[in-house]
Amino acid sequence: MSRLTLMLALVAALLFAVSALVGTAPLPLGDAFAALIGQGDERVRAILWELRLPRAAAAFAVGAALGLAGAALQGLLQNPLAEPGVLGVSAFSALGAVIAIFFGFAAVNSFAVPLAAILGAGVATLLLVFAASRGAGSVTLLLIGIGLSSFAGALMSLALNMAPNPYSLADLVNWMMGSVANRSWADILLGAPGWIIGAALVFLAGPGLRALSLGAETATSLGADPRRIRLLVIGGTSLLAGASVATAGTIGFVGIVAPHIIRPFVRHDPQRLLIPSALLAGIILMAADIAIRVLPFQQELKLGVAAALVGGPVFIWIATRLGRASS
Amino acid sequence: MISAEHLTVTLNGRDVVRDVSFWLRDGEMVALVGPNGAGKSSVLKALAGVVPSEGDIRIGDAPADKMTVRERAKRLAWLPQTRPVAWNLMAEDVVALGRFADAPAPFDRMGEADRAAVVAALDKADATHLIGRSFQALSGGEQARVHLARLLASPAPVLLLDEPCAALDIAHQLALMAALKAEAAAGRTLIVVLHDLELAARFCPRILVMQAGVLVADGAPEVALSAETLAGVFGVRLDAKGRLERASP
Repeated sequence: MSRLTLMLALVAALLFAVSALVGTAPLPLGDAFAALIGQGDERVRAILWELRLPRAAAAFAVGAALGLAGAALQGLLQNPLAEPGVLGVSAFSALGAVIAIFFGFAAVNSFAVPLAAILGAGVATLLLVFAASRGAGSVTLLLIGIGLSSFAGALMSLALNMAPNPYSLADLVNWMMGSVANRSWADILLGAPGWIIGAALVFLAGPGLRALSLGAETATSLGADPRRIRLLVIGGTSLLAGASVATAGTIGFVGIVAPHIIRPFVRHDPQRLLIPSALLAGIILMAADIAIRVLPFQQELKLGVAAALVGGPVFIWIATRLGRASS
Repeated sequence: MISAEHLTVTLNGRDVVRDVSFWLRDGEMVALVGPNGAGKSSVLKALAGVVPSEGDIRIGDAPADKMTVRERAKRLAWLPQTRPVAWNLMAEDVVALGRFADAPAPFDRMGEADRAAVVAALDKADATHLIGRSFQALSGGEQARVHLARLLASPAPVLLLDEPCAALDIAHQLALMAALKAEAAAGRTLIVVLHDLELAARFCPRILVMQAGVLVADGAPEVALSAETLAGVFGVRLDAKGRLERASP
């Protein structure tokens, strides 16, 4: 394990602890520790085990999954602005989940929402890779991503428009804004298979991503099969993004910001970028989730909204720097 | 050794290489020359397996179409004409990719033997001083040498080079050709696409000449680059002082 990974893992563990202590009812360290080992006040135990810990775990898992997916997609498309959110993968994933909720599949089977979210993410990723394999450049892919996002957005609006009653409407809106509040261990267990298998697929593609830095043709001549890499990354990122959307709704930009910060520390190597990007993105999302609990708003700010408020300007900043470098 | 029989490459419905056959033994260094658009790069790409082709290609006595991508990469290394590098990798990590088929690790995580091979290749390409430098901060010539080192770092017995001299100053061109000759002397088989006919004739004992997708000459420089070939294929002739000039001014 590199020093960077170790350091990020320590920070993540620290923030995880902070996340368990901070909230509308701050838990004193001693009480929280007692609750952690199953002792002390029952209410404190309930707050810690039923609310805080699953919430922190969800924030970290969703962030890490999006960071990993972003780093892998950037390696595959050789574009530092690639990320499930920007490319429309998250929107399609959300569309899948909305369809599952809207048509009542969610009530029938608890796996319906994650499966539909993963399927939606897969459809969008396949479209993008199909376009990329036919020679679409970075700009075209981003434009396709905008198209996919708008299209999925329109269909979701349609679903809202036709929502059978105000409660399901509120459900959909709440969920689409992106949040890890009130997540249970069951929600996390539901997302876990997608995160674990998705991460495994992406890691298998790791060395190939470095070879792909020299272009698909040269990568082939080096012994890395671009088709295999594409399949692994598409499959992996669809699972990662789908499971994340199913757990927390759509949360954008964290998958761009984390790899961008990490890249200079890992010799710009697309393979070495993967784990530290995942850790940093998990850290960012946990920190953001702590911040929105601490900020003195009457209504708690949604995590997805907070991520976009910070991530949007950073995205523009990276894009401007890229524009300057290429002109 | 590497051979092609009735090699045909079709791109966008057009035959860019038609029925090309040749056979190279171990340790042979051959120049592949011809005017722009003759199909030289397409021949190399077909041999490297990065474009689909018809006909039989054999690398080291085994049919190439039966090989996996990795098996082929272990037998053959290819230096393309255009050489994009997407990220600002370290020079030594680019060179380390030359050993990807056997050791898919970055430079500082490679085994001792692989790392030594990378350093030796950098040395042969006069690029040892570029270790620790970011690729995109290098000059065009330095980048070309890093790519060359990437090729030389490969343990593959067959090397294909597409215009390796482009972007190199004259001293580095001569050094490069001498380095390639040393590789051939060590038993590697090389096909080098060149535009400089004088460089080709000077360093390569055998020259393949292509025109409009067809192999039109194959032999020692004085045979393959005869006056007829020079005039017919390249539109040039030798003047009284032995310099090339346009045949019809």
